[in-house]
Amino acid sequence: MTFFAPFTIPFIVGTIFLFVAVATKWILWIARLPKVDRRLIAHNFFSLGTLAAIWEVVRESLLHAKIFRRNPLLGFMHMSLAFGWFLLIVVGWIETIVYLGFEMIPLQGHVFFKYFMPLNGIEAHIPLFEQLMDALLLLVLTGVALAWFKRIASKAMGMRRATKHVLFDRIALSALWFIFPARLVAESLTAALYGGNGFLTGTLGGFIGELLPTEVLTTLYEPAWWFYSSALGLFFVAMPFSRYMHIFTEIPLIFLRRWRLRPTLERKSYDNFEVEACSRCGICIDPCQLQEDLGIHDTQSVYFLRDRRYNMLSLKVANNCLMCGRCEAVCPVGINLTTLRINSRAKRRNIPHEGRYRYLTSLDRSSGEGKVGYFAGCMSSLTPAVQHSMERIFEAVGEAVWYADKDGGVCCGRPLMLSGETDAARKMVAYNTDLFRRHEITTLVTSCPICLRSFRENYHLDGIEVLHHSQYLDRLIAEGRLSVKQGEESYSYHDPCELGRGSEVYDEPRRVIEAVGELREPRHSRRDALCCGSSLANTVIGDEQQLRIARRMTRELEETAADAIVTACPLCHKAIARSTHHTVVDIAEVVARNIAE
Amino acid sequence: MSTLNFGYGINRPRAIDLDNNDLRKSNAIIAEMPELQACIGCGSCTASCTAGAITNFNFRKLHTAVRRGEYRGVYEELSKCMLCGKCRLVCPRGINTRGLVMLIKRKLGDF
Repeated sequence: MTFFAPFTIPFIVGTIFLFVAVATKWILWIARLPKVDRRLIAHNFFSLGTLAAIWEVVRESLLHAKIFRRNPLLGFMHMSLAFGWFLLIVVGWIETIVYLGFEMIPLQGHVFFKYFMPLNGIEAHIPLFEQLMDALLLLVLTGVALAWFKRIASKAMGMRRATKHVLFDRIALSALWFIFPARLVAESLTAALYGGNGFLTGTLGGFIGELLPTEVLTTLYEPAWWFYSSALGLFFVAMPFSRYMHIFTEIPLIFLRRWRLRPTLERKSYDNFEVEACSRCGICIDPCQLQEDLGIHDTQSVYFLRDRRYNMLSLKVANNCLMCGRCEAVCPVGINLTTLRINSRAKRRNIPHEGRYRYLTSLDRSSGEGKVGYFAGCMSSLTPAVQHSMERIFEAVGEAVWYADKDGGVCCGRPLMLSGETDAARKMVAYNTDLFRRHEITTLVTSCPICLRSFRENYHLDGIEVLHHSQYLDRLIAEGRLSVKQGEESYSYHDPCELGRGSEVYDEPRRVIEAVGELREPRHSRRDALCCGSSLANTVIGDEQQLRIARRMTRELEETAADAIVTACPLCHKAIARSTHHTVVDIAEVVARNIAE
Repeated sequence: MSTLNFGYGINRPRAIDLDNNDLRKSNAIIAEMPELQACIGCGSCTASCTAGAITNFNFRKLHTAVRRGEYRGVYEELSKCMLCGKCRLVCPRGINTRGLVMLIKRKLGDF
């Protein structure tokens, strides 16, 4: 039996190239993993995590369940291409085995089986497989048709904006779009000349056979197969350099993630898996407020990852991000976009100066004594009402409190971290940790979600429970230590990014508000909440642009027609207050006002 | 023969020599952040400063010096900043002060 024809050469060359390129990437990335990561792999290799990863690969890489949940049509498009193609390969494989038994057949023998059937004199047809393969081809073709449709009307598929692609992606995309129509034509021509095939290629073949004379069919026959093979070969060659590398990157990423590997504030080899797992689907574009409110179209996560991958990341793109986490919340691949953004900044501008922050040595501005520490945070000193309210509450419940920064303290370090100066930030982390330990506190309450997140993620505060003041207040009310009056007032609550998406604190502030009044939700809330625009993470946009973001966000809060707007972050407080005439208060103020006598 | 120490000395002259100061870096900084020219020198940035509350760090002094082309010691001094961002919130001219700190450090990093 022969399984070689000249037209298969583009396919064979492409496949070998693809295999070598992907294998090289994988081996290099894994070999360069830091020791900690390699130890994690070794430790978790034989665990339930591996099984969970296999299931996740099926659910996400093949079926695209997350995209389905977002928009069924969009999910179907991704599923039909990924799962459909996968099944075409698998069922095609089984088909050859059924026809020829377990024989060593070269790869092109499987892929172009319909061509080699008449060539090898296989006359008997198995209708089940022919119909099945046609059904799968139809499934993939539907996906391709939807992809075309998405180019002209992405809105209909739940995406207001689609990604703008680079040249490599366009080449790969065009090749991909041609593969399956080319296959349809090639197999139909085969059916026209040699008979057989299922409801799709068979019927189409019969139709072509009646329409065209045999000489024309035989002239078209080889070129059609050449075209199919070339489209495949071209796609395979372009794949490792284009967005389609995600197909072979998402799978190892899922496993590595299940083995508990995570990106860190410093770049490392693991980042490659996250960066190249981005398929540039563009789902992250719509939620970006820089895009919607300011018309900035080059900095969204999809473009950031693309620029980083091709080593053309500019400082401006790296810095122009609110790090509100709205993109991360919708990313179907679950890429840690914020961390990657931070460590991209770190690489560019972490130049710690010798003796920097020497003034921190032997500095202690704290006051009071108690097991509970209160860290208002830098920003809270601009909203003194928050601090005074907390003091009144502490007094009302008789809590002995140690005030870390009543008379000017040291920053938590997160702002520096967000700007990529991780080494400098560590000095602040060390200073504050030492301060907390020295005063032997067991609970740390902070009024600033930015501080909260850094205490939780970047500090090692074992033995000290870190709470946001909304959580602390919720606990006081639940335990009955603080009794509050249920009032008539209604409050519209704004979820601060660092508290909500950043620290997963959604329910506590809501319970606190419900204890003193009526809670109203804006259109975007919880995981979907909008950013106030004043985020410390963005050092590119100007004042007027911040205000524009704040205004739209505030409008939604005003639309609830509540008596007051409530938030739980001093920075959001400032941003909202300057873009509305409504009353803006912090959750601590609301509680302090309603303490029952 | 040593001079008597009377406990005071003579200040160096504080003339701003715009003829001799090299304004290239200053101009490059202003070109990237033209809004800096809107500064009215009110000093709110310094007044609200976290680092300024615990040291004699003075952001207004630093960015004024930079604009005049007096860069000596600015990079070292500016690295005391903790980037907390309060200055940006209080600036009545809405200047992107955090971006400015980073910009000046970037431009003067090799100074």
